[in-house]
Amino acid sequence: MGLLIPILLLLVSADFCFAPPLQPRQTTPASGAPSDSSSGSSFDSASTTKPVVSPDATEDEEIRQPVPEKVLRATLPAAHTPARHGDTSGPYWIGQRTMVEDYCGWGWLRTEKAGWSQARWVVIQYDPEICPVPHAFLPRPQDDMDYQYKLYGEFAPYRAYEPQADVWVDVFLIKGFVSLGPAKNPILREPPAHGSSKPNRFAERGANLR
Amino acid sequence: MRIPAFFWFFTTITASVMANDIVLISGGPALRSHERFKTASHDKYWGNFIDSALARVGELQKGLGPGDRLTWLVFRPGYVTRGEEDKQDYFKLIEERGQKHGLVPIYFDNKEQLFTLLRRDGSPERPKISRLEYYGHSNKKCWMFDYSNRVDGGAIEPLVVHVDDLEKISGSSFTPNATCVSYGCHSGEEFSQRWRMVVGRPMVGAIGKTDYSDGGMPKLSEGKGGSWAY
Repeated sequence: MGLLIPILLLLVSADFCFAPPLQPRQTTPASGAPSDSSSGSSFDSASTTKPVVSPDATEDEEIRQPVPEKVLRATLPAAHTPARHGDTSGPYWIGQRTMVEDYCGWGWLRTEKAGWSQARWVVIQYDPEICPVPHAFLPRPQDDMDYQYKLYGEFAPYRAYEPQADVWVDVFLIKGFVSLGPAKNPILREPPAHGSSKPNRFAERGANLR
Repeated sequence: MRIPAFFWFFTTITASVMANDIVLISGGPALRSHERFKTASHDKYWGNFIDSALARVGELQKGLGPGDRLTWLVFRPGYVTRGEEDKQDYFKLIEERGQKHGLVPIYFDNKEQLFTLLRRDGSPERPKISRLEYYGHSNKKCWMFDYSNRVDGGAIEPLVVHVDDLEKISGSSFTPNATCVSYGCHSGEEFSQRWRMVVGRPMVGAIGKTDYSDGGMPKLSEGKGGSWAY
């Protein structure tokens, strides 16, 4: 009996002394339920109730979940190239940006149906008012290395001279492009490397005194 | 007695009438948008080939004979595009600098126009060339007026004088003892020899690179073992 009295007293007083159990707190207002900052009480009946999350919002969050590949792409500088620029009507070529050390040129160009083994090494000539080269939008020319584009324009009737390798290279006059994103693989073909000169027919004949 | 006197009179008169021409050629600068990120970046200063040609004028003017003249040919398109990039009117500056030396630039837009300007018959309007000097980009095969300007790191065909084009320049446009100098890089490695063979006049050219970065006349790049060669 002597033990029962303190136990009963403890049970009765616990109801007055202990705080109510904590409920999960809503930190952001649910959609369509503006928060009331003036009320200031976090123990209101409204704030202690579980937040109601609509099934649509949950789906949205799942869709926007970034996959590592997308995160990587978004952080690449080439992500800042416009998806489409200039005049993108008419025939086009598929181009892959490739840079070769000590060799002038933009990269490889092929027709839609041809493979990369039939691609041509080109330099791109552009008018900034019509359409600049895609890497002009990027901090450095190498920032779109191994990116693919649909390039609109035509081949020039003249060639360009590559002074390091002493070769003539095709010139593509660009008027527009569509970005196709990074290529699966870099193109490892060597660009052309034939001599630029014809045989010197004056070597035996003597000087040109016409 | 009368015949030698006549010949003496004739040769004296002819020599005074047959004036010669000294031709200076200035190529165009590269664009900074193409060159900015390269380790060996060209043409930080736009006027390398203008100032170097004009630095030579004073010296050449001292040796001019009666009736001789100096002609300054400037590749126009390179200064149009570089001027647009730098937002400067370089033609005004070029003409002002030329005026200080009593020179008016004659502009050319491609190699065909240059070949026309170099075609001489010895008449007072088109005197023969006694000296030709080139200031601009080159390698062992070409003069490249448009290097890294229209296309990054190269030059387009109509704006390149390749060794295969030299047959369009006639040796008869030059005086018999004419001297030619190319102050571009590597000209002495092949271009000079092909010039001598095809045009029939000697051309001094550099083996190795030439350096315009100190202003004034270009010099051979140090530490590359370069030299001048015919």
